[in-house]
Amino acid sequence: MVNSRSWPSEETELELITQAQRGDRRAFGELIRRHREGVVNVVYRMCGDAHLAEDAAQEAFIRAWRHLPKFRPRSPFRNWLYRIATNVALDVLRRERPTIGLDELSLASSAKGPQERVEEEERGEQVRRAVLALAPGSRTVLVLREYEGLSYREIAETLEIPIGTVMSRLNYARKCLRESLAFYLEAI
Amino acid sequence: MSEHVIAWLGAYHDGELGRRQVRQVEAHLEGCEVCRAALEGLRQLSALLLESPATSDLSPPEHFIAQVGLRLPRRPERPAWYRALEMAWRLTPLGLLAAWAIAQAVLVVSGATLIALQMGLGGEAAAWLLPVLTPVSAEVDLFSLSGSGLNDMRRIAGGLLSYGGPLGWGAVLNLLSLVVIGLLYWSWLASWWVRHRRQQL
Ligand SMILES: [Zn+2]
Repeated sequence: MVNSRSWPSEETELELITQAQRGDRRAFGELIRRHREGVVNVVYRMCGDAHLAEDAAQEAFIRAWRHLPKFRPRSPFRNWLYRIATNVALDVLRRERPTIGLDELSLASSAKGPQERVEEEERGEQVRRAVLALAPGSRTVLVLREYEGLSYREIAETLEIPIGTVMSRLNYARKCLRESLAFYLEAI
Repeated sequence: MSEHVIAWLGAYHDGELGRRQVRQVEAHLEGCEVCRAALEGLRQLSALLLESPATSDLSPPEHFIAQVGLRLPRRPERPAWYRALEMAWRLTPLGLLAAWAIAQAVLVVSGATLIALQMGLGGEAAAWLLPVLTPVSAEVDLFSLSGSGLNDMRRIAGGLLSYGGPLGWGAVLNLLSLVVIGLLYWSWLASWWVRHRRQQL
C-alpha cells in the first residue's frame, strides 16, 4: 500500500471497507487517504499539538484496522473513525497532561494586553488555547460540531452519549468560550 | 411578547430544530433584541472558532499511509466464529481429498472384488458381496423368493441396487460422487486463487 497508484474513484467507500475487512491493506490505505485530514484535525483540535496529532492519528488508524471486522455500516465510517480518534486523543491527553503546562493553556488576555495590534495569527492561537482549556467532554462535542460539522445525533452516536448530553455539553462549551474569548468577540 | 428562546438558540443555530420550532423561534426573534443579540453571539463564536487554523504541516499522504502500514498488524482481528469458519474453509480441501480417496478406494475394491468373483476367486468370505456387485435381475430374484432366508433377502436387495449397469447402481453413485467431489475441490481452488490474488494486489 506504499505505492502511489491512485484507486479508481468509483470505488465506493463500502467496497473499500469490505475489502479492508478481509485484510486488504491497499483498500485500507485508500480509506486512510480519504479520512486522514479529518482524523488528524479532530485529534489536533483535541490535543493542540501538530506532531502529537499526527502520531495519534496513526494510532487511531491502527486501532481502526484492528477493530475493522466489528464495524457495521449502519452509521457513516467517518463517524466511527472519529469516535476512535477522539478516544485516542483523550488517551494521549491523559498520558501527556504533565507536559502541557497550565500557563501555556491560560489566556494571554490577562498577560499581554490585547490593546496591542491583534494579528490574525495571534487570534487563531488564542482560540486554539481557549478550546484546549475546555473540559475534555465538552471539548470533544464542540470539536465535532464546530470543526467537523457533525449533527447532534451523529455526535451522540459517535461518543455514545444521549443527545441531551450533547446539547448541554455544547451549550456549556460555548458559554465558556464566549467568556474566555470575549475580547475577540467584541472586536468583531 | 413570548418568553425568551435563549435555550433553543444553540439548536436553532446548528439547524437542529424541527420546522415548527424554527417558526416559533423566528417569530420571537423578530420582536426580541435580547435573543437576537444572543444568536449573533453564537454566530460570531462559530466564525471566530474557524479562525484557528487546522494543522498546517501535515506530512504527505503517502508518507502517512506508509507509516501506518509499517505499524499495522498483519490482519485485522476477527471474532472467534469468523476464525472457526476460516479454519473450516482452510480444511475443506483436506476433507474433500479424504472423501475422494475413500470413494476411489471403494470403487477400486469393489471392481477388483467383482473381477475376482467372476474369475472364480475369492471364496466364501467374498461370496456375500456377489449380489451387490453382479447385475442380477430383480425379477428373477423375486420369483425365487420361495427359498427365502437371509441370503435371499440380501440377494434381492443387492439385485435391486445393482439393476443399473454393468457395474451396478452402487458404482454409478460412486463415480458420480467422485465427479461431485472433484468439482467441489476445483471450485474451492478457484475461489482460493481469486482471494489470494486480491490480497496480493
Ligand atoms: Zn427573547
